[in-house]
Amino acid sequence: MSDPRAQTAYYESEAALRLVDKELDTLRDGAEAVSRFVSVSLSDLPLILERANNQIRSVLAHLRETRNALQTTTFDKLQTTHDKIKEVTSATEDAATNIMDACDRASQIVDELDTIDADATPDREKAGALRSTLRDELFMMMGALQFQDITAQQLAHASAVLVEMENRLADIANLFDSSISIERPLGALGSVDEKTYDPNATTRNAEQRQNLADEIFTTVKAPAA
Amino acid sequence: MKFLVVDDSATMRRIVINSLQRIGYNDTVEAGDGQEALAKFDSSVKFVITDWNMPNMTGTEFTKVLRSRDDGRHVPVLMVTARSVKEDILTAMEAGVNNYIVKPFTPQVLKEKIDALLPAVAA
Repeated sequence: MSDPRAQTAYYESEAALRLVDKELDTLRDGAEAVSRFVSVSLSDLPLILERANNQIRSVLAHLRETRNALQTTTFDKLQTTHDKIKEVTSATEDAATNIMDACDRASQIVDELDTIDADATPDREKAGALRSTLRDELFMMMGALQFQDITAQQLAHASAVLVEMENRLADIANLFDSSISIERPLGALGSVDEKTYDPNATTRNAEQRQNLADEIFTTVKAPAA
Repeated sequence: MKFLVVDDSATMRRIVINSLQRIGYNDTVEAGDGQEALAKFDSSVKFVITDWNMPNMTGTEFTKVLRSRDDGRHVPVLMVTARSVKEDILTAMEAGVNNYIVKPFTPQVLKEKIDALLPAVAA
């Protein structure tokens, strides 16, 4: 919980819950002595109820703040994760479409090569050009598979966010009852190594991003090899 | 000319190596992270192509260590990565990377960047 808002939420929740515990203890003590209490000071009951009401209001206010802080801290990350997963779907679809298109073109080229071969005087120059185009198509199919590396990084990022959310929820659940141990099935699978992915990895706008890199390497002097 | 191709994705290593073969470079050695790359690097390697995000040792960490070695001080290092924000590109440059390719890339871009660094290999 490195986010300051999350830290605040955490400590406020803890403080609020300790307050509740204290009041419950007081009320419990009061219940044990209720007969004595009723007999001794029934006239104090409105004051005690008012104090309990105030404490409950205070706790509710803290819980609302906690909820708002959690909502704020998690919303952005979850939204980003949602967008990443949508992009994975889109990148996969694009790559599949590109590969299918290349397959169609390659298939047509093979048909044309068959036609040339069937000719009594095959046009070897044209056949050579077609083979070269066919190699380009096959190579393009292989290049389209780069999406796998990028989508793997996007999914690693999404997984890391889910593990972080799980940890936050478990921490909050522990505040309510520290005597039970909260299972963390995602965390148990092993945390994602942050070194292995770029949270901003994308298949989009490759040309513009390459232009930016070229511009920087042109304007800022790159180290001499 | 021998190339060292460093990437934790086996798919990407195959794509880079196939791209190299397509433009006429058939002598390659591959590694899955920076540590393995350092172990496989020797003076016979004339060109390094490395990813950034990898387990154990990243591409920038690997490049820094390489630059501290006598036999790796001047070898051209081309980074091929999905990272493409300005700060990342500058960080790579500071680590000692000579040029930068953003994934997904085309073989044409790979050829252009290698060609641009070839004079350094010849020197």
